[in-house]
This record gives sequence, structure tokens and C-alpha cells, in this order.
Amino acid sequence: MNRKDDGLDCRQALLWIEPSLDGELPQGDEALLRRHLESCPACAAERALAGEIQRELRALPLPECPPEVLERVRRAGAQGALVVPFPARRLRMALAAAVLALTVGGGAAWIIEIERREERASSEAVARATAEARFALAYVGRVSRRTGLELRDDMRQRMSVPAESQ
Amino acid sequence: MRTRAFRSLPILLLYILCILCAVAAQAQKRADPPGALPLGELGLFPREKLSVEIDLHGPLLRLIAGATKGDDPEFATMISGLQAIRLQVFPLAGADEATIKARIGRAVRWLEEQGWVSTVRMRDKDSEVYIYLKESGGKIVGLTVLALEPGREAALINIVGRIDPAQLGRLGQRLNLPQLERVPTKKPK
Repeated sequence: MNRKDDGLDCRQALLWIEPSLDGELPQGDEALLRRHLESCPACAAERALAGEIQRELRALPLPECPPEVLERVRRAGAQGALVVPFPARRLRMALAAAVLALTVGGGAAWIIEIERREERASSEAVARATAEARFALAYVGRVSRRTGLELRDDMRQRMSVPAESQ
Repeated sequence: MRTRAFRSLPILLLYILCILCAVAAQAQKRADPPGALPLGELGLFPREKLSVEIDLHGPLLRLIAGATKGDDPEFATMISGLQAIRLQVFPLAGADEATIKARIGRAVRWLEEQGWVSTVRMRDKDSEVYIYLKESGGKIVGLTVLALEPGREAALINIVGRIDPAQLGRLGQRLNLPQLERVPTKKPK
């Protein structure tokens, strides 16, 4: 690699050949490279070879895309969906299902627990409740009996029938 | 991102629906049956001054029915058809009777407005007794007794469920003084 008087050495010139062929080299550098190639046959030969290779590569036929790949891409495009990697999607569904199951299961367990707590009365509580139920019904009996007696007395008074004769 | 949010929407809705169903089921279970009186709303007697307060509900009544099936089948049959038995006895000694009378009158008006049918209305200088029945689908589903004995006590009885008045009368007669003498102490609340 020798240094030329054009301000560009051959090593740098060789690095710039590819960007130059692709049209990506800035104008100032492009001018430097051009001047260097005019005065350096070795680099000019490299440039010619690289140009030839690029032309030949571009002349090659495009590879055919397999129809199933094309169809898959078309379907994804039609749905307007982002292609989510399969495991991530499954994980999300599994998480949603787990939350749903926990909620439904928890709710059901909560309701069952309330029912059980109500029914989990001790035998003493049942005996006490039985006494209370009997008491309440006896109270109804007492009120209705008293009402019946008073109604009967009232009827007797109205009909002027002496109570003693009944 | 938007598409992903839309795809999650049905799951979210299903989730909310499940919660609502559970809450609604629980609320339905807790809803008062047609023969039940809203005791809190009526505010008849101050609870802290009740001499007797009985409040028995479904599961406990089923246990009572099961426990008494062997030795008192009629009582067990009656209890098994009930959803609630509630009794409040308020001693009138030292209390403002006029206020209690007014409250009982208000409760009677409420019962009539709610479609309860008067069976007995007895008012004289010694006592007042009102017996009301609630019917639904041709069956008696509630019984309410409001009684006031001046100088002694006022009482409210509310029996909820399938009621056979004849059976209730028979039991009431049979469960006489021995039961009444064993007055249960007021439950701590």
C-alpha cells in the first residue's frame, strides 16, 4: 500500500470502493477516490473488478418465494395483526384463564363457605334455636288464644249472652 | 397494540360477567322473601330494650326440623316449610306507650299498603291485636302478628314461609305455658 500524492493512500481507497459503487460515498471523498484511481492502476483494477462483481450479482435471477410463505404473510397482513410469537400468546391466554379460574373458583368458595358457616351450628345452638322456635310458636298461640277469648267475650256481650251459660 | 387490546376485551368482559353473576347470586340469596318484614325499616321497637328477640333463618330452621323429626313430627314438618321466624317482645313498663301505639299503627298501615290481608283486628281498652297474612300464588307465605297489652308488653311476630294456619293454630295451642315460662334470654348482638 503506497501513499499517493493525491492525498489518499491505497488502503483507504480500497475501503471506499464498495461505498462508491453503492453510491454511498460523500461527494468530496468520491472526488478524492476518483483522483486516486486515475493515478493508481492497482486500485483502478480493484475498482473495475468490484464493479464487475456487482453487475454480475445484480444480473442474477431473483429467488422464488415459496407460496406457503407468501400465503402466511398475506393472511397476517389481512388480519392487520402483529405476528406474536406462539409461546408468548399461549402464555397470555394461560394467564387470563388462570385469573378467570381463580376468580370464579374463589367466588364459588366464598359463597359455599358462607353457606357452610351458616349450617355449621353446634348441637347446643340447634337445641337453643329449637327452644326459641317453640317459644315463638307458643307466643303466637298465646296471642291468638287470648284474641279468641276476647273476641268470644265481645261477641257474647254484643249478643247479650251471659258468659257463664257458655 | 390496539389490536391486542381488542383481542383481550372479550376475556375482560367474561371476567367482569363472572364477578357480576357471583354477586347477583349472593344478593338474590340474601333478598328478603315476600312474607318477610323489613324490621329495620319499620323501626317498631328499640332493639336494645327488647326483652325477647328471636331471629331464626333458613339453614338453622332446617337443622331444627331435622333434629325434631323423630320426637315431634308435626313441629318438624311445620318448621321445614319456613324460611324465618322472628319475634320481638318489648316491655312497656316505664315506656312511652303512646309512641309504641303510634308505631304499631304505622306498621299496620304499611302492611296494608304492601298487600297484606287483615285476618284479625282487635282493639279495646285492654289490648290491641292485629294478625295479617301475606299471600303469593294462592298460598300463605307470611304471617305477622302485632300485639299490645297496655302496661305489660308489645310484641311483633313475623313467620315467613309455607304456612298452614290450621297447623300453626294446633301447634300454638299445644306449645302452651311450659314453653312460655322458659323465656329465652335476649341474645347478645
